[in-house]
Formats: sequence, structure tokens, C-alpha cells
Amino acid sequence: MNLRDKLKAIERPKVKITVTETAPAEKPAFTDCWRTETTHQPSCYPLRRETVMLMQGEDMPECFQEEKILYLDTETTGLAGAGTVAFEVGLGWLAADGFHVRQLVMRDYPEEKFLLEEIIRVAEGFDVICTFNGKTFDLPLLRNRFIMNRIRTDVLDKPHIDLLHIARRVWKLRLRKCNMTNLEEALLGIPRVDDLPGAMVPERFFSYLKTGDFHLLDDVLEHNEQDIVSLQNLLCHMCCMYENPEQLRFDEDVYSMGVALDRFRHTEEARRCYRLAGGAMHAQGQQRLAASYRKSGERQEAAAVWQEMIRLREGGVTPYIELAKHYEHQEKDIPAALDMVRRAISMMSEPTLFDEASVQDTRNALQYRYDRLKRKLEGRRNE
Amino acid sequence: MNVDQLTQQLQCDPLFMRNVVRWETMPPREAHYADFPEGLDARLRPVLAKRGVHQLYTHQAHAVREVLAGRDIVVVTPTASGKTMCYNLPVLSAILANEDARALYLFPTKALSADQVSELYELIEEMGVDIKTYTYDGDTPGAARKAVRQAGHIVVTNPDMLHSGILPHHTKWVKLFENLKYIVIDEIHTYRGVFGSNLANVLRRLLRLCDFYGSRPQFILCSATIANPQELAETLTGRPIHMVDDNGAPMGARHFVFYNPPVVNRQLGIRRGVLPETRNISSMLLKNGIQTITFARSRLAVEVLTKYLKDLVRDPLGNAGRVRGYRGGYLPTERREIEKGLRAGYVDAVVSTNALELGIDIGALDACVLCGYPGTIASAWQQAGRAGRRKGTSIVFYVASSAAIDQYIVAHPDYFLRQSPENALLNPDNLYILLSHFKCAAFELPFEDGDRFGNAPGTEELLDYLDDAGIVRHVDGRYHWSAEDFPASQISLRSAAAEENFMIIDITNPRNHRVIGEMDRFTVPMLLHENAIYMHEAQQYQVEKLDFDACKAFIRQVDVGYYTDSDLNISLSLLDIEREDESNGVHRGLGEVRVTSLVTMFKKIKFDTHENLGFGHVRLPETDMHTEAMWWTLPDELAAKYDSDTLKNGMLGVTNLLRIVAPLSLMCAPQDVAVLYQVKSPITDKPTIILYDNCPGGVGLSHKAYGMQSLLLEQALQIVTDCPCGAGCPSCAGPVGEIGMNGKKTAWELLTALTR
Repeated sequence: MNLRDKLKAIERPKVKITVTETAPAEKPAFTDCWRTETTHQPSCYPLRRETVMLMQGEDMPECFQEEKILYLDTETTGLAGAGTVAFEVGLGWLAADGFHVRQLVMRDYPEEKFLLEEIIRVAEGFDVICTFNGKTFDLPLLRNRFIMNRIRTDVLDKPHIDLLHIARRVWKLRLRKCNMTNLEEALLGIPRVDDLPGAMVPERFFSYLKTGDFHLLDDVLEHNEQDIVSLQNLLCHMCCMYENPEQLRFDEDVYSMGVALDRFRHTEEARRCYRLAGGAMHAQGQQRLAASYRKSGERQEAAAVWQEMIRLREGGVTPYIELAKHYEHQEKDIPAALDMVRRAISMMSEPTLFDEASVQDTRNALQYRYDRLKRKLEGRRNE
Repeated sequence: MNVDQLTQQLQCDPLFMRNVVRWETMPPREAHYADFPEGLDARLRPVLAKRGVHQLYTHQAHAVREVLAGRDIVVVTPTASGKTMCYNLPVLSAILANEDARALYLFPTKALSADQVSELYELIEEMGVDIKTYTYDGDTPGAARKAVRQAGHIVVTNPDMLHSGILPHHTKWVKLFENLKYIVIDEIHTYRGVFGSNLANVLRRLLRLCDFYGSRPQFILCSATIANPQELAETLTGRPIHMVDDNGAPMGARHFVFYNPPVVNRQLGIRRGVLPETRNISSMLLKNGIQTITFARSRLAVEVLTKYLKDLVRDPLGNAGRVRGYRGGYLPTERREIEKGLRAGYVDAVVSTNALELGIDIGALDACVLCGYPGTIASAWQQAGRAGRRKGTSIVFYVASSAAIDQYIVAHPDYFLRQSPENALLNPDNLYILLSHFKCAAFELPFEDGDRFGNAPGTEELLDYLDDAGIVRHVDGRYHWSAEDFPASQISLRSAAAEENFMIIDITNPRNHRVIGEMDRFTVPMLLHENAIYMHEAQQYQVEKLDFDACKAFIRQVDVGYYTDSDLNISLSLLDIEREDESNGVHRGLGEVRVTSLVTMFKKIKFDTHENLGFGHVRLPETDMHTEAMWWTLPDELAAKYDSDTLKNGMLGVTNLLRIVAPLSLMCAPQDVAVLYQVKSPITDKPTIILYDNCPGGVGLSHKAYGMQSLLLEQALQIVTDCPCGAGCPSCAGPVGEIGMNGKKTAWELLTALTR
């Protein structure tokens, strides 16, 4: 057997794409990449620097302008590693005459460097980059490609707005999956029709390479164009919601926004959301609110929230325990603390069919707290 | 009692000495020193002086000089000779001189990396300089990885991580690749067979990327004593390598005792078992307070011996922490704790598989007991090297089992003592392995027309093949990776099957299931089949459920008086014939085969008496392997002389003999090559004796055997002719119980006919 037959023998046969041989065209010159540009109706909600900074921890340039945001999304041949290539890159920006989307495609590998050079040319004119999961995916991948093509540039090292991270913090609780399609449908009310599933993108590109039929990429380009337009729409929508949380129709969303704001220490804005959270999220919102007060030393406000929770029979034993701590350590009112623990124990004593270990742990902790308070009280009486 | 006193006492004990075949005493070795080489950074000497190092041993100075002169080297010296200094000194010196310089350290296991890093840390700490040494392996937390990539001066990792975690993502490691000055690979003697062939290709990929980033790193390799360290180093790296082997480290006197258990049944040639005899010797050492390591060949033997020794030292509460077991499959934390115990001296005895053979730092012990021959001369010396201090006497006992190779060694101690250790064979151009790494290389960096892949043959054919298969795309003089796959994830460096390990879960306490170990997929059918008794640190467990799909085994503590041992069935089918010839009516062939193995039953064996208590069935899927084989077919007229039983026994005798001679002639470990016979072979349709490479794809052993013509058969004939036994024994054709009364005679007749 020669080497070639042997190679064929040891590898299991794979599904092969049938290649229709086209007439040998002239050898392409590879002098530039393919490009197209379209203009769209943008979302008009004005973007403010302060709002963008409420949504994430990253600093934004002083002279923040929405015309200086570059929206970017790539279509790639795989998920990771030095052999993965971004064969298509979509770039979007806001201009006086509408929202521009420029799409670049390398028609074969030698065109990649022209595509990368074009990205640099365009990106140089912008201050901020906005992507969907670009922090972990698109930008590192493009940086890899620059290195592979021996291009040294820091053009991608700009302040970055990653909508996936923002969306996860606010909408994950309700939507569970925060992919682009879900968000468009849930937030913008636009369902995607006949959209190409992302998993099929690499396959399309390879088929195109083998057949030379550029129409195979039509769906990919459409999908990417839609993504770029949605980036701008979503960013505006998110800013609008952050500025007007009362417009959020779902309690999960407003509660999650509170948690997200808390995380970046926007205390007042966070409390506003916690107060707005109603329905099924009311109890959790109130608990967070009280915790926020306690953290900033506003003990009386915290106690008031817990008392209200008890009145509404919300939050199980938690408000009792928190109030017990409050009475013991702040008010130094041991009998009141003891009363809280007693009420918590009686709540816990309701029989249930199966006790989880955690329930048992809480019960034991309460009993321990009760005993300790009791001793403390008696110790004081004996003095 | 110290070793010298014990030695005197044993030598006066006729009952013991009766079984001693040979008592070899090796005199102590003086230290040889050399001056500090010129050119090392001045900050290093004071730190070494503080640690009591005022002079270097000859080999250390030699190594440093060669590295500073820009040569690639391999250092070949025994255990505990201060090998690490040979690479740490030039590496630290280079980084002190230029803080951009980078070094990559490769160790075969994670445990070894952990050890080395702590030693490096101490040196760096004492110098008070900012040299960052990071371990990058599967355990490195995600958050720390970025720092390692950007700032690590010395990156310590293993071949697996380099292969799947670093090379395919090389663009994240620009700093490392641009400034890589040294590649340090320790314990290169472990890179034999599949693992070595894989590593050689990983290094081809690494050097290709260094070339891309404009660096040309030097190699510093270290090896234990083997026959061909320089050849191995050159095959691994594809570069000419300078050898440093002028060992200058001192060594205390050593005794090497060859012990053959007494014959208990002269007719059948049966000796006392190796386990009880090892138990006696290890117990004697333990009772005399001599820190001892006992090496056993299987995990099972380790557990049985650990139990015996633990029983000896159990305190009233049942604790026996002074005696520990050690083998693959224990969790890392447990292993670290045992290693620490050995160094600190609160563990007096450890029973281990070859897992402790590698350079893991357990300090030097006083005595070593080899329970059975470990398979190769190299590993026997590695294991024996665990006992032996720079000062003071040490002793090694080799207890022979009844296996043929053990009996051969104990009958020919000079063979063992004088013969150079085995060759480490590897075949980087094994097509399976080469093709897989070739794909990885194409993924990592496009090949250009005229590029070569290290010194691998057939670069152009491989690229054209991948182009045809649509995996790469040839355009404008370059081959671009053009598939969605991530090729590195499809290869495991240590075995053919890139499959995950099994978790071993103790379900004794229903509220607290805990993972107590893990095991590779290949071994699972033999040791973790349902109803198997699995032993861990001498505690017995019974396997209740084996979930093959989820890769989990559920076990429960039991206390029974037996252990289990399973039988492996192997069948074989032909894929392709590469070469054949015929002389004197004997047909020989060489080709590729599929080997299928299946565990069908297990035996229950009673502790202490080792009698068979019964058996059970195992129902598990079979495992597959493609490899290379060579075979001899008996001429029809020869086979026709015998009835089928006689022929079977004769062929069994011949395979037993080939199993003894093959590892010796092919210079490989016994487990690397397998021999079996088929009365009506699916390959030839005739009685056939088959020898194959016992690893996927093969490492060239069958090729070598085919090239030896009838040499193997002649050597087999020699052994059976010379053996003084009557109708067969474990040292030649096999015991009578296995091959029958006529087995030896028939084997002799067959071999005579085949070699005529």
C-alpha cells in the first residue's frame, strides 16, 4: 500500500460534499476582500454616558457620543483556537443619514489580510466598541487573526460595551437563555423568521469555498446584518430601561436590574428597582432592600422593611432572624429579640413531610440562638 | 537495627541464605567535583552557598558549560544525583540576565511538576528576585491563566496540556513563544512507545511555532539510565543532542540480593508464591525499623501487600498510618500526603506500583523490595534507586515470581547486572500518530508549499491527502485549515483512545457518596466489573454497579476473606498485509490487525492461602485496538503430524517461549509486545503464531521482529533445549498443568521444524 491509500484506510470515511467542478477560472488575484454596505432606520433613543456606565463596570470616554460607537459582529469557521478564522465581519455605526452596516467577506483565505486591514481602517474612527459576547469571543478571535497575519495593532483596545453580559444580569432570571434571538423577541418584540442557525454558519462557508457559489453565504450575510442592527436597537432599549425601570413589565427583570446595579455600587438606583419589584419578586426585593439599608448603616430603615415583611407574612423566617439580630445588637432589647426567635421557631415547627438538611440546619441554628439569648437574659437578671 | 547490622545477620542465617541466588555488593562511590562554570549570573553562587552547595558535581558543571555554549543536551545520571541543578542554573541565569527570557518545563505527570516548582520557588525566594514560575495544567484556575500566559518566566506543564491547552491557542502565548530560550524535559525515559511518539510530534509542532515567532529554543533533557538516551533524545527533538553522563554524585554502599522462593513441589516445578515471600521480607524490614519501599507489579498486588503490612503494625484503635499503599488511582491530595510522610519519616513502609518509580521526591529510603521483576532492566534500576542515600548503606531485595522472565533473571543475575538497560523505542512517524498531529499543526499554522514537519516523511502527500478530504485548502501557496473541528481534542497522548477516566464512588454512607479514586477505561473491565473486590488503601470494597456510559463505578465497603482476579480474552482479525515471504514451507507475514479484548469471567481468591474459591461472569462491552502484527504459519504437513490437542499444547508452549525471548531481543518491556496462537487463524486459515505491538498503531516492534528473520524462533528453541526440567516449567514452555505432558516436546519439535 502506498502512503495515500494507507491514509485513506486508517481514517473512517467522512460525509463528503460533492464538488461540481467549475471551469477553471483565471487564478484570482486576491487584491481585496468583498464588501457591501446598507443603511437602516436606527433606534432613536438618545444614549447617555452615565446610563451606559450604570449598566457595566467599565469606564467610558469623557466625550461619549453615540456616533462614535462601532457595532461589531463576526461570523467564524469554528469556536476557538489558532485555526479558527473570522471569514465575515459586520461593522455598524450611526450617521446623519441613518444606521450604516458594512459587511466584509474574505472569499478565500488569501483575502483575510485585506479584511483585517479594512477593520483597522474603519475602527480607527471610533471611540467605543459594542458587541454581543465580543469580550470573550469576537475580539480575542480578531486579535488572534492579527497575530497570525503578523499585524501589530491596538485598534480593538477601546472601551467596550458587551450586551450579552448586561442582558444576562437583567434578563436571565426570566428568559433563562439570553441569546440574540430570544432578546430580540422578548425585548424588541421582533421574532426572527427563517434565520440561519449559528451552528450552520461554518458549514455554509466551507460549502461556498468548495463550490464557489457565493449565494450560499446569502443567509449568513442576512443573519449578520440583522445582528448588527439589533446591537444598536438593543443598546438603546437597555439604556431606556435603565433610565426608566418602572417601564419594565416583568417583576423578575426589575428585581434583576436592582441586583445588577447593586453589584456596581449604584445604591440609590438599585433601591429604586427593589421598591418597584412586586408580585412574586416582592419578598426578595424587600429582602435586598433591607440588606442594602443595613449595609449602609441605615438600621432603622432596614428594621422597618423587615417589620413590614412580617406583617405581609413574607420571606419565611428570614425577617424574624434579621430582626432578632437587630434587637439584640442595635436596640439591646433581649426580650424583643427572644420573642422574634420564638416566633421563628414556631413557624419552623410546622410539620413537613420531608425535611431537607438545610431546614434542619436552620432549625438547629434557631434553637442555638434561642438558648444563647435565654442565657444572656438570665445572666443579666442575675447580675 | 541499621542496614549494616541487618546485612550481617541475614548473611549468617542459613534458612534465608538457602534461597539467595546471588548477593551482590556494590562499593560506595566518591563524589567528583568541578569548578563553577564561567558565565553563570553572579547572584546564583551566594544562594547556592547558603544552601550548602559550594561546588558542583562534575556532571552538573559539564551540563551548565554545554548549555551556556549553546548546545542541546541530555543529562543521563541515576536518581538523586542533583539533576535539577543542570537545568535550573542555566535557566535562572538566563532570566536574571534578560527578564524577557522564557523557559518551558515539561514533566510527565502533574505530581512531578508540583515537586519541581516548590524547589525552584525556594531558590528564587532566597535570591529575592522577581522570577515568576507558574504551573499551567488542568488544575490552574481560569482567573490565573491569563497571568501565566502574560507574565510567567518559567511555565511548568505536562505534554498533554502543551498539546491541547497551549499549542492550539498559541496566539495567546505570544510572549512565551517570542522569547522562549529553553525547553526543559525531565524524565525523558518515560516517553517511550505511544506516549513518546506523541511527544515527538508535539515537539515538532512546538518548534514550528517557535520558528513562526522567531525564537530558537535550546533543549535541556534529563533521563534515567537506559541503553539509548542520546538516540531517544534525538528522536524526540529531531536535533543532534550532546550527552552529559559523567556522574559525579556520591553514593553509599549498596547490596543487591537475588532471592528465589523455595520449590514446594519438585515434580510440577512450583515455588512458594512471590506475595507471601515478599510479605516476609518486607515485614522483617518493617519490624527492624528500616524505612522500606516495596514495589509490586499490579495494583492488586499493592493492595494485598499493603493489607498484610498494615495488619502487622495496627495499634489498638486499628490505625496503621505507618504503612501506606501508593498507586495510580489514589487522589492527588492523598498521594501528596504519603510523599510528605515518607520524606518526613513518619511513614515507615510504602507499597507502590511503578507510580513511584518516577522522580517524585520521597527522599532516599534504606531498603527496597521488588516483588517480581518489573519487566525491564531500566525500571528495575529505577525502582532499586529509590533505596540508596549519598552516605550510608542501602539494600535491595529482588524476589522472583514463578513467571518465566523472573526465573530467567534470577537464574542469570549476571545478565541483569551486566546488560545495559533496554532501548526506549518510539516511532514518531507511526502513521496514526503522525496524521493526528499533522492536522493539529495545520490548524495551528498554515503549511506553505515546500514546508516540512520536523523530519517527518511525506509532508506533501499528507497535505494533498488532507486537501482532498476537505480538511485543509490549498490556495496561493498555502494550506489553510478548513474544517470546523478542533483537532487537538481528538488525541490523547498516553493512549489511543481519547476517552475519559472512570470515577470510583464509595456509596457505603448513603448520605455521603464520595469519590475515592479514578481508573482508565482500559483497566476498568478487569478491576471494576460488577462484584469485583476493589481494594483501596487495603480497605475492601465490592463493586455494586458499573455504569459504563456515565463512566462511574459504585462501590461499597465490605470485609470478606478473598480478592478477585479477572480473565482477559483476546481475539484478532487482519486489516491489511504489508509484507509476506515463505521459506522452507514456513509462511511469514507482516501487517495491520484489529485486536479485540473482552473480560468474560473472574476468580475469587482467598487471602493467605491463595486458593480458588469460585468464579463469576462479567458482562461488559469489548474494547478494540488497531495495531501492527507479524505471524508465522505452520506448514500443512507439519500440522498434520499432530492431533488437535497436542498441536494446541505445542503452540501454547511456543508462544510462552516467544514471550520470554521477544522482550529481550526487541529490547522492550514485556507488556509492549503480545504473543498468541490460533489453531485456525482468520488471517491465514491455518495454525498460526502471532506477535503484535501491544499499543494502538504500533511502535515498530513487529517490524523489527519481522526483520530478524527466524532469530526469535531460534532463541526460543535454545531456551527449551537448554532447560533442565522434564516436561516443562514456567521458565521455558510453561508448566505441565498448562501445556500438558507432551507440550514441551511438541514445542521443541515445532520450533526445530520452523527453524530448519
